[in-house]
Amino acid sequence: MNNILCMKWGDKYDDSYVEKLKEQCEANCSVPFKFWCFTDKPVKDWHIPIPTTLDEFYDEGRGFFWAYRKCYMFNHGQTPGDNRHFPDNSKFLFLDLDVIIHQDLKYFFDLPNDKPWIVRGWWNDIHMVKQNYAKYKSTPLNSSTILWKKGQMVPVWDHVKSNKELIFFTYPSLDNYFAHHWYDPWKEDEGFLQGFPQGDIYSWYKGNIFPDDMEKKKIREDHKICLFNNSAETSDVEELKSLWNI
Amino acid sequence: MEYLKFTPELANNWKNALSMGSKTHLLKRVLDSMNQSQLESKLWIIQELIKLEIEPKRVAILAGWYAQYIVPLLYDNFESLQFAENFEIDQDVKRISYAFNKRLKDDKKYVITIKNVMFDRIHGSWQHPHNQLYKLDVDTIINCACEHMYPMWKFRELNKPVLRNPIYVLQSSDDDQYSDHINCVNSEEELIDQAGIKDVMYSGAKFLSNKSTRFMVIGR
Repeated sequence: MNNILCMKWGDKYDDSYVEKLKEQCEANCSVPFKFWCFTDKPVKDWHIPIPTTLDEFYDEGRGFFWAYRKCYMFNHGQTPGDNRHFPDNSKFLFLDLDVIIHQDLKYFFDLPNDKPWIVRGWWNDIHMVKQNYAKYKSTPLNSSTILWKKGQMVPVWDHVKSNKELIFFTYPSLDNYFAHHWYDPWKEDEGFLQGFPQGDIYSWYKGNIFPDDMEKKKIREDHKICLFNNSAETSDVEELKSLWNI
Repeated sequence: MEYLKFTPELANNWKNALSMGSKTHLLKRVLDSMNQSQLESKLWIIQELIKLEIEPKRVAILAGWYAQYIVPLLYDNFESLQFAENFEIDQDVKRISYAFNKRLKDDKKYVITIKNVMFDRIHGSWQHPHNQLYKLDVDTIINCACEHMYPMWKFRELNKPVLRNPIYVLQSSDDDQYSDHINCVNSEEELIDQAGIKDVMYSGAKFLSNKSTRFMVIGR
């Protein structure tokens, strides 16, 4: 069973973003799938309530590890035999709400699943990534799109659960945490996570592949997905909406 | 101790390390690690250890970066010193740190290990170089980068099963202008509290040339 997951909490995005993502998936996936949304306001049968067990460790003033709620996906219904939502052979494709899907998502479900997949931001200069590693900056990973098979990400959940105070204190972002514990920028093929290949996913605000294809705010329809996150721009929501309408 | 002994051997090692660093994207990082404040902080450690008549034998350095100041300062000032191990998370540090400290690495007196010391235990002891029956315990833990990491009580708790009541030499800073300074303190008392130091042998503050205040605590 193929599952496409998204997550919505807070007020930055309204329900129309979830509906728009669902629409995009239905228009761009040639294999059967179920669409689910982890949400703090569950009302539909494809909504899954976001747990709150980690909330007490989040310091809103510091804002570290702010996307921690994504970790709940790596635990919910992931135990073999727990088939309430997901059968044991399930695959999961998580997508952030602020993406544009250009091509058939079947591609992702056909990828080998020996290891989970995550966005390797190929627009990052790997020298900067390594140089800033100990400064908790310039992470090479981006959790806007993650692909895994059932149970595969449970070690990540277990690690977060066991070290929650330390992780919430130390890592500015989930992506940075991933880069420090589940990926190795010096041996990119050896990490627990593997990066989607070049040419799959690019960033609207940052470009595509360093240093040769770094033009920003350029649509690349030969790629599968365009990401909008991590921008420092305040107009990103309006910009995304205008692009959805093209 | 108010200076570092710039011996011909050290000069040769440093020339090679800086030459190596200058060929990479790491040059700025290497130069940052060698500024006036860095040396002031490390000399302060040596001065206070001497005053306290502490004679470290086996030292674990946490997040020691290239360790080009602290390691030679320790060896030059303490005949007692047998071994120093630097635990770092930055894999690029290893090659250059070994170049800076080549003479000590070659003598098997200095090792750098890639490890996140807040998540994974350090080695609490080393094999005796001449007698396989003996293990030598770490007696001194030096962390000059407390502002970069979670409070040190966590390290102590994590390593309780492998450490036998070592002396801690801890430094932190009030300089919160850098995003990687995730745990600045405003006083030596705060550092003592964070690390759960019960027996305070020394605590103090020093205003450094970079206009920040550095705090140091020595104790168990």
